[in-house]
Amino acid sequence: MNVLLRTSRYLKTTVFTLGISCSLFSAPALSAAPSPAPRPEPVQTVLIPGPLRSFERMAGISQKVAPADVLPFFARNVYMLGYHQSTPTEFLILVDRYLQQARELQVLAGSAGVIKVNGCDDAGTLIQILGYRLRPDCGKKNFSLETANPERAFLTIDSGFPLVDLEEALQNGTPFLYPYASTRVPALFYESDWAALRTGQRKVSADLVDVLIGDRFTARLYWAMAKEDTETRTALRRSPGLRALLPYAGVLDFYGSQICIRSGHVQLPGGTAAQASWRDLAGANPDVPGQFVPALLAKDSGWLAAYFDALSRISQVQQKPLTQSPRLKRLYEAFRQLDPETSATHGVFRKAPDLLVLFTRIQFEPDGQPRIPGDLATWKDVLHQKTDSKVIHEWGKRSSGWNTPEQMFEGMAGLARVETEAGPLQSFLLISEIDRKRQPGNRLTPATVRLLADRFPRYKSWYQIFTEFQSLDNTSITRFVSIAEAIDKIPNQNLRANTEGSFQATVGLWQILARQGQLPTDNLNPSWTKVLEPFATVSSPVQLFDATQSSLGGLLAAAGANPTDSQTQISQSQIIDLISGPRQDNPDSQRVRLEMAERIRAVLDDQRLASLDTVFALSDGLKDMAQSKAKGDRLLPLAEELREFDMPKPIFTNREKINWAPAIYVNHHAELQVRTDLTKILKGQATHEQLEAARGQLAPFLRDTLVGLNYAYYEPPGAQMLHHNPLFVRSHDFLGVSIMGSNPLWGSPVVVGAGSPAGGGAYLIGSLADLPFALATIEQDFIAPKNVQALIWKELTPVLIVSATTPRYWGVTPNELHAVNLYQRCGEELLTAAASNPELRTKVLEVLSDRIAPQRMEELEHALLRPQDVSNYLNHVMPAETFYLAAEVHTRFPDLAPSWGPASLQLEELRTRFPAEVTPDRIARDFGVPHPTLAQTNASDLLHVKPFPFFGSNSGRLFGESWESGNLYWARLADEMGYSPAALNSLAPNLTRRTIANIFATEFEDWPAVLRAMHETGDEFRQSKLTALATANPGVPASDQPLENTTTR
Amino acid sequence: MKRKYLLFLGLVSFPFYSGGFGAAQDDASRIRVNVVLVQLNVAVTDSKGNYISNLRPEDFAIVEDNIPERTAAFEEGNERRLVDIAPAGGVPRWQSALKIVDLPDTSTATDQTKPPTPITSGANVFILFDTSNYMYRGFVFAQDSISDFIRSLEGVGKVALYSYSRDLDRITALNPDRSQALHGVRSTVAGDDAALYNSLLMTVKDAAPLTGKKAIVVFSNGPDNASLVPPEDVAELAQSTGTIIYMISTQQAEAEPISTAVFERMSKATGGRAYFSRSWRDEKQAFASIRDDLAHLYTLSYYPQANPNRGWRKITVKLVGKDLQKYRIRTRDGYRLLHPTQAASTNLASSE
Repeated sequence: MNVLLRTSRYLKTTVFTLGISCSLFSAPALSAAPSPAPRPEPVQTVLIPGPLRSFERMAGISQKVAPADVLPFFARNVYMLGYHQSTPTEFLILVDRYLQQARELQVLAGSAGVIKVNGCDDAGTLIQILGYRLRPDCGKKNFSLETANPERAFLTIDSGFPLVDLEEALQNGTPFLYPYASTRVPALFYESDWAALRTGQRKVSADLVDVLIGDRFTARLYWAMAKEDTETRTALRRSPGLRALLPYAGVLDFYGSQICIRSGHVQLPGGTAAQASWRDLAGANPDVPGQFVPALLAKDSGWLAAYFDALSRISQVQQKPLTQSPRLKRLYEAFRQLDPETSATHGVFRKAPDLLVLFTRIQFEPDGQPRIPGDLATWKDVLHQKTDSKVIHEWGKRSSGWNTPEQMFEGMAGLARVETEAGPLQSFLLISEIDRKRQPGNRLTPATVRLLADRFPRYKSWYQIFTEFQSLDNTSITRFVSIAEAIDKIPNQNLRANTEGSFQATVGLWQILARQGQLPTDNLNPSWTKVLEPFATVSSPVQLFDATQSSLGGLLAAAGANPTDSQTQISQSQIIDLISGPRQDNPDSQRVRLEMAERIRAVLDDQRLASLDTVFALSDGLKDMAQSKAKGDRLLPLAEELREFDMPKPIFTNREKINWAPAIYVNHHAELQVRTDLTKILKGQATHEQLEAARGQLAPFLRDTLVGLNYAYYEPPGAQMLHHNPLFVRSHDFLGVSIMGSNPLWGSPVVVGAGSPAGGGAYLIGSLADLPFALATIEQDFIAPKNVQALIWKELTPVLIVSATTPRYWGVTPNELHAVNLYQRCGEELLTAAASNPELRTKVLEVLSDRIAPQRMEELEHALLRPQDVSNYLNHVMPAETFYLAAEVHTRFPDLAPSWGPASLQLEELRTRFPAEVTPDRIARDFGVPHPTLAQTNASDLLHVKPFPFFGSNSGRLFGESWESGNLYWARLADEMGYSPAALNSLAPNLTRRTIANIFATEFEDWPAVLRAMHETGDEFRQSKLTALATANPGVPASDQPLENTTTR
Repeated sequence: MKRKYLLFLGLVSFPFYSGGFGAAQDDASRIRVNVVLVQLNVAVTDSKGNYISNLRPEDFAIVEDNIPERTAAFEEGNERRLVDIAPAGGVPRWQSALKIVDLPDTSTATDQTKPPTPITSGANVFILFDTSNYMYRGFVFAQDSISDFIRSLEGVGKVALYSYSRDLDRITALNPDRSQALHGVRSTVAGDDAALYNSLLMTVKDAAPLTGKKAIVVFSNGPDNASLVPPEDVAELAQSTGTIIYMISTQQAEAEPISTAVFERMSKATGGRAYFSRSWRDEKQAFASIRDDLAHLYTLSYYPQANPNRGWRKITVKLVGKDLQKYRIRTRDGYRLLHPTQAASTNLASSE
């Protein structure tokens, strides 16, 4: 079996969107007049044999794409999936075979384009082409179709031929009619353009589909050209021509979608001011696109194109300082120096994601120098540290001569070519974010920067907490590092693992409460200290237990949850009550909060974790016994309770587990708990030391319940592992002892154990940092896609889930919620008004050019030139774009009267009456999404960046983080349907889950498919089809729990 | 310890967690225990595997954790016979028999005024088809085989057709129309990794709320290279929800010992069986066996006596009387109390 077969169905391609607004570069022109309509390109249609749906199934293309997108996606899949080295894959072989079968069936369908069978007598040919036969003979009792030729039968099934309809027609003696007409789909340029490029050895016809199948390089160029806007690709076809571009198809595919030609000029990052620099860099004149573009693509094996692409994707504000002379050229010089001969298109994914992050996030001081946290001397020291990387070592040597931040910035640009997650550039990006919004008195000191940079490889995953809570001062930060190091020095492995787990879990609870505003801002440092300090000197299990209890007590006290008179101990319900959200005033919010608490309890129950009440009561009782204040009898029920946890009924013997899952089967921690029996101590005459040791045995139970609280809080919607694998939390491997060679200490957790049935189930290795993403990564596989061939791609789905589960909405007012709705509607009103108002159109396009790529920008411009098209086009505009448009127009053009429609007027009224509740900044904080990769924080925000391209590895998350529309859209729905803001705590995750199930995409960057799935989900919700969600609002009756969720075939 | 358990299993519908606010709003010190019947599907065969019919309720003895249980409802095949359990005085047995499970702080129970819901005539069958890469070579033959199986199902109430690779596809919902399931089979596509146990878990959860006999028939050659849940957890859930699992494979599966072991042990634990035929074209015997099984199973239900065990509860079913000792019994061997979240279907949307 060929894995690529299915892979083809699970990867995808989209033609439009990604890129940067061409208008961005031509902003001055926009202010005068709209861009001229693009020159019409030659348009031709080509014939696809058989029904389009069948072809799309075979070619791994979403059956929801527009006809114009079919061939670009096909070309993309041929290039991506059709060849292994130069050998056709199973995917391509099947497509080829299908086309042959489809042509045979077309002959059968005749000129009428209908396959018609009247009965057994004339079914033979059709059945033979389909690869089946009748068994027993046609007309005999209970006859049916069975496979005769498996190769053909596979194509029949895979392409979705209605075989059962044929079978039933024959059984019933009724005619079988099946329309089998070919379908015409638009093609780029002329078939002859592409046929002329053939380089493959296969002999193919001039038919475009055959040309694309036969030559993957042509296919890639086709795909790359399809991502250009019409005017640009028309110009490129004319000059330098497709043949000249063919050698650079890969560069054009990866880095070409931002190239924009308008009126015979290449639009440049930095505009006309940067023209001379770009001319020098490329060695060609941007005013001669036919020379400039090939030069750009060819220079340094594609690296100049990659540089051009990164700069093209950032905002105009950010572009301006970066493209100044001589900075533009100097930065590139640094960037290219590392082995310019290595191709920028080597491998499956784009290169240098950190260059785009660096350019997007770098800050500049008033004097124009890049802002550097700490000081230059500190960073020079950092670069001088020992490294295995020759490049980093080389930059370290060069840094000796640096005396300006600018030089260091250039060095960072040079390091963007190094593929690592823990180098000086990554350290610089994260520490810069920590320092980003700090007030002058609270900036990171050089000593703190040095400490953070020195310990970056080990503790980097935890630094994001300092980005999220910038009021944590230098002392708090350094104390974290020193205590973490102290924990790392605990010699006993079990104790160290339990200490790390307890420490991280308690810090995680602090983070939750701080994020929910339950820890006063001016008390963050003291509460942080109370949580951390008890763990500074742990050297025994009983010390660990006491430290954890003390830490937890300090946290609860800081959150205002003081024990009552009757309750002198920390209680589990108190903690659940706190983390489920701040106390609410109105009944609806209270109900939602209770629901959140109930969910947390359900996870703890299903994980069969010991209650904190039990653990603390046992500890107190043992203390009393040690002081001869009490006897053990009354503790026996509690000790029995502790023993209630039992392992799942085994299916495998221990020997089988060792043989069949040797690398994964490690459940020592859980097994130790099963063996823990305090009843013997309680029943006997135990010494003081024995009683203390018994208290120490409670430490692992305490750790697991605290870890479980963290897991439960970030439970993804529809989670299964949390409820059905009772070892999941207990199996968390903080030290990485279950996998040889892993070193996950303090790092983001990774999933191990998947696909190993004898291994006891998947679990996490690593720390609790980034836990929401790890849980989402695990639980995404339990979302059943609605569409066959739907892509549930791992790179996006977890990010979408995290974006919905991390934000909470307890502080949102009804006015704010309504404003979110109005902003989006106001944006739509602006677009509608712009269609008949040239002056407004110019402003609208200017604003959106910071968010929208050239190809979509061109489509938008066209739509705004035809008022009748605008309402249709609104469905293609993302909620984050309409929100941004409304907010930016108000900010940039305050003199414009907000009279675009009723929503604009209502929004203006809200602004006047409740100014503090409806500011874009506040809405961004409440309805944005976390950007842990792009902005190194889990705080919600709207960064208003253009959609990021897809990068491989961990950088793939950048792509998902640039999707900021989800929570805005759910808020709009909630407001429209009369839900309270608090209801979003439940609605947003569940609607996101449904959106994921609805996604029907073709390639990684298929944003339109995500938007389409979101709208479908919204429609289902409006029509009350999502019955399980209806309980989020008492006003909506919950109907019977459904069982059906049929798949679209 | 305050916990909310659902003693689940069969005949009485139960609240799902999504509607569970009411419970949360109750005094937190109270425990809501939903007492329903434990339903056992029991196959009785002689040494040659022939089904033994016409046994009476009193021929069976049920013991849960060494506690003898009293049969409350009895059914042979699709012929339902309610046991006369009304005690003197006319109080329906189902009322007097309802016990609140003896957990600490127990104070409430569910509706005790209604008799057990009648068992639906005919079993509900979920077919789970492996469409992963592992099935690629025999894919079309397996389709033929499943189609034959669907056509052969007699005495079965409703059929659903699911498929799985890395993800679960609910192709056709549970319904009495065989044609829909046949269409579903022929609309499947092959490819991708195999997450059998993930998908089986979700299928069990979809079956969980159903009353009456319910079975999952898995067509797979194994192995599993993508599941996150282990088979132990799936088996426990199936046992706890009274779902029978049948595994249909070819001898190709026997080359992989892990799958073979799981298929045999999981199906046995749930009261089902595993079949390994020579090829997908040679499954007739398996189909007949499953069909016979579903038609001949005895269904015994009981209200559990007070039992403090909150973990795994062992069930033993024996035949009473010397003459019956020569027969063999096949049924699940226990269950675990479930939280409502564990029993809730993973489906979010209504039928479309």
